[in-house]
Amino acid sequence: MNKNLLRIRKAKNAIATAIALTSVGLGVAILMVILYEIVTQGIAYITADTLTKTTPPPGGTGGLANSIVGSLIMVVMAMLIAIPTGVMGGVYLSEYQRRTRWGSVIRFCNDTLLSTPSICVGIFAYEMMVKPMHGFSGYAGAVALAMIAVPVILRTSESFLILVPDSLREAAAALGATKEQITLSIGFRAARSGILTGLLIALSRIMGETAPLLFTALNNQFWSLNLSHPMANLPSTIYQLAMSPYEEWHKLAWAGALLITSFVLGINLLSRYMNSYSQRAEK
Amino acid sequence: MTISSIALTDNIRPLTEETALSVRHLSFYYGHKEALSDITLNIHRNCITAIMGPSGCGKSTLLRAMNRIYDLNPTHRASGEIMIDGTNILSPGIDILSLRKKIGMVFQKPTPFPMSIYDNIAFGIKLYEKLSRAEMAVRVEQALRAAALWDEVKDNLNASGNSLSGGQQQRLCIARTIAIKPDIILMDEPTSALDPIATQKIEELMVTLKEDYTIAIVTHNLQQAARISDYAAFLYMGHLIEFRDTPTLFSKPKHPQTADYLHGRFG
Repeated sequence: MNKNLLRIRKAKNAIATAIALTSVGLGVAILMVILYEIVTQGIAYITADTLTKTTPPPGGTGGLANSIVGSLIMVVMAMLIAIPTGVMGGVYLSEYQRRTRWGSVIRFCNDTLLSTPSICVGIFAYEMMVKPMHGFSGYAGAVALAMIAVPVILRTSESFLILVPDSLREAAAALGATKEQITLSIGFRAARSGILTGLLIALSRIMGETAPLLFTALNNQFWSLNLSHPMANLPSTIYQLAMSPYEEWHKLAWAGALLITSFVLGINLLSRYMNSYSQRAEK
Repeated sequence: MTISSIALTDNIRPLTEETALSVRHLSFYYGHKEALSDITLNIHRNCITAIMGPSGCGKSTLLRAMNRIYDLNPTHRASGEIMIDGTNILSPGIDILSLRKKIGMVFQKPTPFPMSIYDNIAFGIKLYEKLSRAEMAVRVEQALRAAALWDEVKDNLNASGNSLSGGQQQRLCIARTIAIKPDIILMDEPTSALDPIATQKIEELMVTLKEDYTIAIVTHNLQQAARISDYAAFLYMGHLIEFRDTPTLFSKPKHPQTADYLHGRFG
C-alpha cells in the first residue's frame, strides 16, 4: 500500500467536504439573513389595522386587506386554470408521448416556458388580454399567473408519473384495465404526493410574482372584488409602498413581505409534511 | 451445436384431453429482431405447463404473447396463431380487455398496487362487475383464501399492499389475478425474487390452483419445473427444442440439447 497515495486521497476528501460545507453555509446564511431582516422589520406591523384596512392614501395610514384578498382571488383563479392544464399535460407527456419526437418537442417548449422571465409573461398577457379588453383586469392577472404555474405543474407531474414503475402499469393492463383506468387508478395514486408537491411549489411561486401583475392586474388601492377591473395584489402593493417616501408605508411594505414569506414557508412545510406522511402511509 | 427447428413433441402422455390454449407457428419480433421462431405447442387444461430455457431464449416472450401484453409496446409484433376457444387471439379485431379477463398474469417481481390489500383485489373485480359492498367483501375473501393469504392478512385488510413481505406480495398478486376468475394463469418466473420458504408456498399454491385453472409458468429453475409441472417445454434461442410430459422430458430427453441443458452443461 502506498501511504503517500492514501494521504492524498484523504486530503482531497477533506477539501471536497470543506467546499460542500462552505456552500451549504453560504446558502443557509443568506437565507437566514433575509428571514431575520424580514421578520424583525415586519413583525411589529402585523397589526389588526394591517389585516383589516385598505391601502393607505399618501401620507396616511391603512392596511393590506384589499391586497391580500385580491392576491388570494387571483392566485386561486390561476391555480384553477393551471392545475387541470398542467396535470393533464404531464399525463400526456408521461403516458402518451414518452419516447416520441413530438413528446420531446413539447417537453423542450415547456422547459423554455419554465425559465421564461416572468416580465415576458406579463407583457404577453398584456398583449393578449389587457389590450383587447381595453383595460387592466384581475382576469388578465390570473391568466398571467396561470401561465407561470402551468409549466411548473406540468414538469413535476410528468417527472413523478415517469417514476411510477412500468411493471405496475403492465400488471394493471394484465388485469384488463384500459389506459385511462391505469393512469387514473394506478399512475395518479402512485405519483400523488409528487404531483401535490408540484402544485404547492407552483402555488408558492405565483404567490410572490410581481412582474406579470404589473402589466395585467395593475393594482388598486381600494377594495376590488370585481375581476374585470384592476385588482389589488400584495406584490405590487409592497413594491409601491417600498418605493414611496413615507416611513409609514415602508413599515407596511415590511409587513407585507413578512406575510408573503410566511405564506410561502407554510406551503413548503405543508408539502414536506404531506410527503413524509404519504411515505409513512406506504409502509 | 445445431439448433433444430423441428420440435420433438411426440409421445405426449395425455393428462387431459382438452387443450386450453394452442400455439401454432408463432414467431415474434422485437422490431426487426426475431425472438421466437415457429413455435407450436398446446397448453393443456388443468395442467401446469413449464417453459424452460436459458436467459434470452424467448420463454418470457412466449408467455407474453399469450395475453398480448406485448401490445403496450408498438414495435413488438407476433405472427402465427394462438387459439383459445376457437379464436385466434393474435388477430387484430380481438377484444383485448376480455382476453385479459380470461387470461391472468403474474409477474416476476411482485407488483402490488399502491393501495390497500383489500383494494388491490377489488381493483380487478371492479373492472368487470358491479358488486355491493358485502358481495365485494365475499369475493375479496375468496380470492385471498384461494391464494392462501387470508389467514395472514385478514385482520389487516386496510394496510398497504406494500407493507407485506415479498412472498406475501406475490400471493397478493396471485389473489388479484384469480379474483377476476380467469381460465388460464400465466406466471413469469413468479418465485425468482423470493426466498426458498416463500417459493415453496407459491409452488404448493400452484399445485392446488391447477384444480380450477390452467397454468403456464416460465421458470429458469429446473427443479421447480420438475416438482410442479405436468408438461415441460425447452426453448433455446427462440426455437422450441422439445416439448413433452415432464417426467419423460426429465428422465429421457430425446434431444441432445435438452439433455445438455438438464445436466447443466449450459444455460
